Amino acid sequence: MPEVAEWERVLLPDIEKNETEWLAAYLKKGGYDVARKALDMEPESIVAQVKESGLRGRGGAGFPTGMKWSFLPKGAFPRYLAINADESEPGTCKDRPLMEQRPHTLIEGIICSCLAIESETAFIYIRGEYYKSAKVMEKAVAEAYAEGFLGANIFGREGKRVDIVVHRGAGAYICGEETALLTSLEGYRGYPKLKPPFPAISGLYGKPTIINNVETIINVPYILKNGAEWFKKWVHERTTGLRLYSVSGHVRKPGVYELPPTVTLKELIHDYCGGIRNGHDLKFVIPGGSSVPWLKPDQIDIPMSHEGVAAAGSMLGSSAVMVCDHTVCPVWALGNLSHFYKHESCGQCTPCREGSSWLYKIVRRIEAGGGQPGDLDTLYSLAGEGTPGSGMISGKSICALGDAAAWPVGSAIKQFREEFEEHIETGKCPYRERKTSYWMANGGFVNESFDGMPVP
Amino acid sequence: MTAMPEILKDDAEEIERLIGKYPSRRSAMLPLLWIVQRRAGWVSQGAMEEVAGILGVTVAEVYEVVSFYTMFQQKPVGRFHIALCDTLSCAICGTHEIAAYLAEKHGIEMRKVTGDGLFSMEPVECIGACANAPALLLNEDLVGDLTPAGIDAMIEECRRKAGATAAAAR
Repeated sequence: MPEVAEWERVLLPDIEKNETEWLAAYLKKGGYDVARKALDMEPESIVAQVKESGLRGRGGAGFPTGMKWSFLPKGAFPRYLAINADESEPGTCKDRPLMEQRPHTLIEGIICSCLAIESETAFIYIRGEYYKSAKVMEKAVAEAYAEGFLGANIFGREGKRVDIVVHRGAGAYICGEETALLTSLEGYRGYPKLKPPFPAISGLYGKPTIINNVETIINVPYILKNGAEWFKKWVHERTTGLRLYSVSGHVRKPGVYELPPTVTLKELIHDYCGGIRNGHDLKFVIPGGSSVPWLKPDQIDIPMSHEGVAAAGSMLGSSAVMVCDHTVCPVWALGNLSHFYKHESCGQCTPCREGSSWLYKIVRRIEAGGGQPGDLDTLYSLAGEGTPGSGMISGKSICALGDAAAWPVGSAIKQFREEFEEHIETGKCPYRERKTSYWMANGGFVNESFDGMPVP
Repeated sequence: MTAMPEILKDDAEEIERLIGKYPSRRSAMLPLLWIVQRRAGWVSQGAMEEVAGILGVTVAEVYEVVSFYTMFQQKPVGRFHIALCDTLSCAICGTHEIAAYLAEKHGIEMRKVTGDGLFSMEPVECIGACANAPALLLNEDLVGDLTPAGIDAMIEECRRKAGATAAAAR
């Protein structure tokens, strides 16, 4: 095996141990010192440091955090901070270990961020499936209240108040979309809202609201402690800081890897994750969560930064890398993802609701051997070329779920056109014939057999 | 008409504390439904009436929410409910084999409750355990890196727990 560069790990130094760092242990290593220091800082100077560090949102969009904070209208109060812990982009599993192992670092990050944006109330919206994360956060928040680090007059400072409410979702991908998260938090269906107005102007309960991802906020105390220059030691173009890459699928050692943005996708897969399982060949990689365009094996020698992945025609997204070996039928894989988006479309906008459903039905029938000659053209007309605004779905709905449903389709056909055509021409899936791994036990389409949905 | 609390009759204190955390009473909708599900295992019409009464909204508004979020069960499920992840990372690592194994070896079938009421199973979309694929949720617990031996141990443990409860009740 090639030499693996050992990097300093900051956010999750002992991820393998999977232990929760409770308050006593956190205080022993200087926990909450940064929050105390932040109390003496001007809010503008906290925002300035975060801006200077180049920290960008780790949820997927990669928007500069400091800039987002500075969109709040002057003099409008109350303001809210919502922590997006609805980690639900398939492939992404990094915020869970952050909450379960480093709850107090997140709380300290929330305190610092609340001081920066002059908010007195923060909500942590945790996806319903993360029972343990919610329990750990509840307990850690209670510990912080008991010490006087949260509530009225935090750290004994007259007039400074920060409250944290831990809120659980109940199973809806769409609630990771920031406006849907807020409507869900208000006790409604998680329906996204049109922007503008942006949440920074009119968000939760109609008040100015900032929504940030868990990993974004947990970086804030480190930046305030060590400085913006320290954070920029790890840099590739405009992507700074160490980040957590969730790697799943057919690699020998799947896991969450904390690495600088200069690491290449190839190193990540072959060096850090031990390469492809069972001596198999790589078929394709989805480099940034399920909605981003696919990459083929000759496209993976790229830095895992926003710019590096964009140059290869995909997106870094939530830095969730899904690896598929040569046993995976690309048509089947696309059907699996299309099923996801069909299921998770909130139903508000017709192009997304109907479109995601039709994408699934058509991809499914191609995979099942019922593909028709015009099917690829129909898919293209629906999904476009995998670029924003092309096709009948992308850019035509309130939020980006429609885009997320469409992009993989255009990209999969572009990358594996011949295989799609072979399915249609021969009326069967060659992978089923070969009885590759997931067909061994019980032939059939996973989603289909569970759903009982008739073949269209 | 406000229903007299039945399912939530012992939770008045916790409910008031929860409602007090939010600037708006309605924000306690999901938390209250979670208490219902913890108590009853699912969300019945009666439960929705109780929640509507507490929050001062119509039953239709509660139903609108219940029917949107997939984790709220609208029918009774087994005492041990399995939510098996079926999205790509899990699916390519053996979801299908696991489902087949649970059905053949343990008689636990998709979207069904076992005759003894002990187990039920449903396929779900990504549960955020991609690096531990294939994975499932057993009630509130995440079980990842599933293997046939691991499944056997998990089911055995459930049966042991159920046996212990039955013994205690006698």
